Amino acid sequence: MSVLARSVGNAFRNKVRTAAVVAVLAVAIGLALAMLVANQAVTGKVAELNASVGTVLTVNPAGGQGFEGGGEPLTSAQAATAAAVPNVSSVVGTKALRLRNAADMAAEAASGRTGQGGPGGQSATSVTTSLTAAVDAGTLGNRNQASTGASGSSTAGTTGSTAQAAPAFSLPITATGIGAEMDSTGKALQLTQGTGLGNYTAASTGALLGTTLATKNGLSVGSTFTIGDKTFTVQGLFDAGTAFGNNALYVTLPTAQTLAALPDELSTMIVTVNSMENVDAAKTALQTALGSDKADVTQGQRNLETAVSSLDSVKNISFIAFVAALGTAGLIILLIMVMLVRERRREIGVLKAIGAPNRTIGLQFVLEALVLVAMGSVVGAAVASLASGGIASALISSSSSTSAAATGQRGGAGGFPGGGFPGGAGGPLGGASQLLTSVTASASPGVIAAGIAAVFGVAIIGALVPALLTARIRPIEVLRGE
Amino acid sequence: MIEVKNLVRTFKSGDRTIKPVNDVSFELEQGTLASIVGKSGSGKSTLLSLLGALDKPTSGDVVVNGVSLASMPDGKLTNYRRRDIGFVFQQFNLIPNLSAVDNVMLPMEFAGVRKAARAERARQLLEQVQLDPDKHGRRINRLSGGEQQRVAIARALANEPKLILADEPTGNLDEQTGEHIIELLSTLSRDHNTTILVVTHDRALANKTDRRFRLQQGRLTEETARTRATAALTG
Repeated sequence: MSVLARSVGNAFRNKVRTAAVVAVLAVAIGLALAMLVANQAVTGKVAELNASVGTVLTVNPAGGQGFEGGGEPLTSAQAATAAAVPNVSSVVGTKALRLRNAADMAAEAASGRTGQGGPGGQSATSVTTSLTAAVDAGTLGNRNQASTGASGSSTAGTTGSTAQAAPAFSLPITATGIGAEMDSTGKALQLTQGTGLGNYTAASTGALLGTTLATKNGLSVGSTFTIGDKTFTVQGLFDAGTAFGNNALYVTLPTAQTLAALPDELSTMIVTVNSMENVDAAKTALQTALGSDKADVTQGQRNLETAVSSLDSVKNISFIAFVAALGTAGLIILLIMVMLVRERRREIGVLKAIGAPNRTIGLQFVLEALVLVAMGSVVGAAVASLASGGIASALISSSSSTSAAATGQRGGAGGFPGGGFPGGAGGPLGGASQLLTSVTASASPGVIAAGIAAVFGVAIIGALVPALLTARIRPIEVLRGE
Repeated sequence: MIEVKNLVRTFKSGDRTIKPVNDVSFELEQGTLASIVGKSGSGKSTLLSLLGALDKPTSGDVVVNGVSLASMPDGKLTNYRRRDIGFVFQQFNLIPNLSAVDNVMLPMEFAGVRKAARAERARQLLEQVQLDPDKHGRRINRLSGGEQQRVAIARALANEPKLILADEPTGNLDEQTGEHIIELLSTLSRDHNTTILVVTHDRALANKTDRRFRLQQGRLTEETARTRATAALTG
């Protein structure tokens, strides 16, 4: 019988005790693995956030934002200036167009309503289209139209006192010319069908449509529609995650500039900074370079810092909990093995008396500890795979609710004024809250294996102490009872 | 050859100093079957522990084939116990969760004997001590006291030691089995040139040994004529 076989046999010597030890170890190891899984998931998410929206600045014309305000439009030359600012890794220009259904505009003109429909602003240009908006005007849209958009019969919709019924007001559709496959907030477009636009720097007749806009107009990939007098082909569908965001379409920047007949003009610039730590410095430098009277630089996802900070807390907490659970597992092993060594002092003395070297006896105890840890790890891994998702969610929701409370007072409203662009960042954390809840903690084999390796490392350390204690046992002391 | 030179072992018990082994000297030729008799607490087991390098003397020395145990470091003492000594303990001291064969194989495992060879030798030894072959694979805690004693003797013989130290080897055996064990020890001593020192209360067993010593209050006296030994007796 080898040392290993003897160790395995010893591990099962007292089955009830072995079951109890394995159960306790499984809880500690399961907790350690669950925390490691949560830590890895959050670490990945933080990296993802830092690499994307967490480092994005939005540049708007000074005094204007979205479809509102005044000031001078941004130009391609300013984009080049922005790109030269230190720590700026990329600058993507956008050109916003407001599309109105041609039939609706004709009907409004016939009824004497001459407004543009909705808030007017210098940075968006209205163009007709064959598309119909997927969002109904509703109370809010009609109220906005009545107060800002119409002249002459602007109260018709609200008083109902005119003899001739006004045609129903329809919301405009937002078309955005983009220079890369990202939305107007700098986030990557989530295409659900089709492909991207290909070469974003060249004029094309391809377009990406929001899913609800496509559905409303019965369009799919390959279908055509018109903007102004040009025919466009649907090359892909995207899901922005919001009703407003999906009532939009994207074309290439040169196409949008051509449609607006403003070839050098930009509505906004999406500036990506190389790291989150440099965002504040880059923002200041960008504002200086562009001139505060020419451009407003905003951090559209400013409150994302809080979200990332909150995720960092979760990351730290989960790491500390992982280390603590790991230490607990090591302590359990240490105490169990100390108990076993004390219990088997006589047996150790006998082994020494018949010539067992200290290292053989020590190895026997270390292997016995590892057998217990292996069993605990199997059960613990099962526990972790079941519990890690729940534990991660609990940690994140607890942390995000804390940060939400902290940031709630400075969070912007959704819609046009708050987000810097249509897209609705509503809610105290804006899009961050959605990003937070999208953290998925899956117990991947690699992470579990790494965790178990760490557990074994700690177990060996924990078992070495009692194993070394066996070297101090003198056979005569335990055999003196003879 | 074993030479015991002025061996002293003292213990503190409160303010008192106890000397279970007090200036003991003797020599045993290789292949001698010797016995030590004495009352309980006379220091027999302590003397056996000193000879087997389980304990260190307060003064004096044990010299085995010209090598002093007193100057030997712990690692070499372990080697000495593994290679040169076979112990038979009064309480057997077998590993309870191992089988009879596994217990006998243990010293051979520590000595680096290959698994197949040690399994074969362990079965031979168990047959030699007349343990029923059906019980070779049985766990120790499912064997009777007499059967356990036979396994303990087989374990002591495992590495063919030069010296076997047996503490009451027939104490838990019936008369017939005890007789057989005495015969076995005598054969080993004679045929294999193994030195055997037996501590016993059993006068019959003592009378069958080549040399018989009595230990009284830590002092050793020889009761027999020196038939095979040339050692001087002191005490």
